[in-house]
Amino acid sequence: MFTRYATLLLLFSLFLSSCGKKSGSKSEDPRPETAVVAIMGDVDNFNPVVSAELIASQVNDAIFPQMFDVKFATGEGRLVYGPMLVKSWEFLNGQKDIRLDLRGDVFWEDGIRVTAEDVKFSYGLYGSQEVSSPRQNYVRNMIWTDGKFDVDRSIEIINDSTLIFHFDHTYPTQLFHLNLPPVPKHVFQNADLRTLDSNPANARPLSAGPFRLEKWIRQQEIVLARNPKCNLPYPAKLKRVILRVISEPVTRLTELKKGTIDMMWPINPEDVQDIQLNYPSIRIETMPPRVYEYVGWANIDFKAWNESGRKVIKPHPLFGNKRVRQALTYGINRQQIIDGFLGGYGQLATSDISPIFRWAYNFGLKPYSYDPEKARNLLAMAGWTDTDGDGILDHNGRKFEFTLRYNAGNARRAYAANIIQDNLKKLGIIVNIETVEGVVFYEKIARKEYDAFLAGFSVGLAIDPSDRWGSDIQNPLNQAGFRNTRVDELIRYGQNVKSYLEAAPFWKELQAILHEEQPFTFLYWIKEIVGINNRLQNTEVGILGAMNEMWNWTIGSPQGSVVY
Amino acid sequence: MLLYILKRVIAAIPLIFGLLTVTFFIIRMAPGDPASLYLQGNVDPGIADRVRRNLGLDDPLPLQYVKWLKATATGEFGVSFSKHRPVVDILADAIPNTLILTTLALFLNIALGVLIGTLSAVTRGSWVDNITTVLALFVYSIPEFWLALMLILGVSLHLDLLPAAQMHSPNADQLPMFAYIFDLAKHLVLPVFVLGFASAAATGRYMRGSLLDVIKQDYIRTARAKGLPEWKVVGKHAMRNAMIPVITIVGLSLPFLLGGAVVVEAVFDWPGMGNVLLEAIFSRDYPVVIALTAISGLMVVLGNLLADVLYAIVDPRIRLE
Repeated sequence: MFTRYATLLLLFSLFLSSCGKKSGSKSEDPRPETAVVAIMGDVDNFNPVVSAELIASQVNDAIFPQMFDVKFATGEGRLVYGPMLVKSWEFLNGQKDIRLDLRGDVFWEDGIRVTAEDVKFSYGLYGSQEVSSPRQNYVRNMIWTDGKFDVDRSIEIINDSTLIFHFDHTYPTQLFHLNLPPVPKHVFQNADLRTLDSNPANARPLSAGPFRLEKWIRQQEIVLARNPKCNLPYPAKLKRVILRVISEPVTRLTELKKGTIDMMWPINPEDVQDIQLNYPSIRIETMPPRVYEYVGWANIDFKAWNESGRKVIKPHPLFGNKRVRQALTYGINRQQIIDGFLGGYGQLATSDISPIFRWAYNFGLKPYSYDPEKARNLLAMAGWTDTDGDGILDHNGRKFEFTLRYNAGNARRAYAANIIQDNLKKLGIIVNIETVEGVVFYEKIARKEYDAFLAGFSVGLAIDPSDRWGSDIQNPLNQAGFRNTRVDELIRYGQNVKSYLEAAPFWKELQAILHEEQPFTFLYWIKEIVGINNRLQNTEVGILGAMNEMWNWTIGSPQGSVVY
Repeated sequence: MLLYILKRVIAAIPLIFGLLTVTFFIIRMAPGDPASLYLQGNVDPGIADRVRRNLGLDDPLPLQYVKWLKATATGEFGVSFSKHRPVVDILADAIPNTLILTTLALFLNIALGVLIGTLSAVTRGSWVDNITTVLALFVYSIPEFWLALMLILGVSLHLDLLPAAQMHSPNADQLPMFAYIFDLAKHLVLPVFVLGFASAAATGRYMRGSLLDVIKQDYIRTARAKGLPEWKVVGKHAMRNAMIPVITIVGLSLPFLLGGAVVVEAVFDWPGMGNVLLEAIFSRDYPVVIALTAISGLMVVLGNLLADVLYAIVDPRIRLE
């Protein structure tokens, strides 16, 4: 009996000890020419026309041929375009038309050439009402007939490799809107457009880009392999990039520390020090600020607006007055939130145009300082004083009390909400905090059912303030119920000039108005933190994402030694 | 017995139908919008409206119910809103992953539970019994997610003995068969342990109580009087009867076997039914949630039936009618 137990024990300890063993010695790379990246969730599909997940668009960029080689010129703060599938381009007709010349040597995996027909067909899908692509607004300024995108009038095919795009008017981001990747026409030409999002071909894409999809185990991993037939200027250098779906943040960080994954984001600022001190094989990089957080104020009385069938527009009893909103911003110690939670990875915000867009950013605006005295004065000017001596501000018999809501499970917002509550209490304002389940939270914001909320927003690469700050209150993205005729004019001007530099003065004035009006209290920009194992090199973490230009990634140092 | 089973199955049909109907209305009336993914910067806000229309969410609720009922009656669970693929395919991917995890966990639960319970019962009142009782209560009170996270930090990160997430290493299907199975086994250790360990503490308590009841019976005294060694008395005579409550646990574990373990699957990123359910609830993926509820409901009904039938098989005193 004893011998049997001893044997079992021995076998078990052998099992455990072998578990800990690395395959191969330290000098041998267990994953030669392969990078492993942890992603938070699986992609929805591999069709750039219908995929809605952010991660899917980053992966699709590596599988489908990109029209342009887009880079972000940090010094100027704008996107610059180089040749990719598009060999050269020319502006015609006073810049209202753009002629594209495509490379003639780019092929889909099945050997069929990528042609102008593919591009036109794909834009037809992107603009189709039946498909409802999340990227439909890319064709918003091309030619529309009877309320529908007119692909035949918008895109003219000259020959297999040449096509002309016709726009309704000129604007600075026309090239940006020509950068939607094409899908193979011969695969999708007979597809039912209404069910394009569930088309089986979306799970086995035909690549013409640097990588091809080798394997997709749903909810587990996506294996991208180098596409040997890629004729684009940037073929993949790595043999494989494996994307592992790991949604639990602690688990994801553990895998990075163990060296079983090579890249992950976002890393919490509080984990950075531990990584820098104890894990020298991991480097920390940051993405420039594209995400900001804010307290949204109901500029108009949402309750009255909703109850009247979205007709009655009157100022909100608390936040309808500009002075009150300014006072709230003065009264919130935003720097304290940054110092307490974000450390060096946050930056005070003045509006929602990111400082990365240097040409458009209004450097003349000074962020509101934390100034409770000024806040009190502004509130008094707006009629809010403590008349009954109970320590709470009141006006016309109404106490200054409101509920600040944010989505449950967001530690950063919980931290910010508590500081805001504490700061405003000192001014005599009662803030009740309520957490709401995420999906419900965003739905209620879109329906304008919350008077005050703590949320975040990721800004696009092309400046387009129309949804957020245009006077259309029906627009779910106009969360403040903001209306301003000058802003409407500025948006119109900014979107009807030929170059981005011509648009700059309009966007700067827009920021000045937002700064003055404070429809939101813009809190801070967040620089997302990326952790990368040093074995993974030539990464290009930037405004275009952590996996940007994945095709340039290499493994090991230039000397050839592998670092774990 | 066959007639009894048939009767129970027929009686279960209205029950499951009722369950599905209630689920349908609860989830449809809950706040939240499956098209909320489309409400983001740079996406035309009109797209969300069109997505809602395409998903049939613009129809009045009773009409949606009738449509759904018709589809469900023909075994059609529909297409997932967020994954854009048939719900059946999603389940087909997740069920085997969950089964391997839950079956092993159930096995560990019972094996360990019976062992602890028996040990505790035969040493009743001694220090061994006291220690196992306190330990069992302690283990049973540990929240699963905490135990899971501590094991990830301790066993996976600091000792570097086992992997922390997923069910395979990257690109594991390139490995030879044995290495592939070994890789899977390594990934199974922690989640199976967390799932099986805490429940084993509970099973152990059942086993202990039941065995103590049986040990007092006359036939056990007789067995001892015959001069049988103690291990034979307990192992052969007492255990067989004391196992009946444990068999109930097996029957009632059916919903767990297929439904997965939400917390453990989430922490270890196990690609099973628990994770599918969690994601579906957060994205308001109605077809997936309803299908999973249907499966869980079905398993509860079948599990109860199985427990009753197993009872009758193990215990000749019980007759099913």
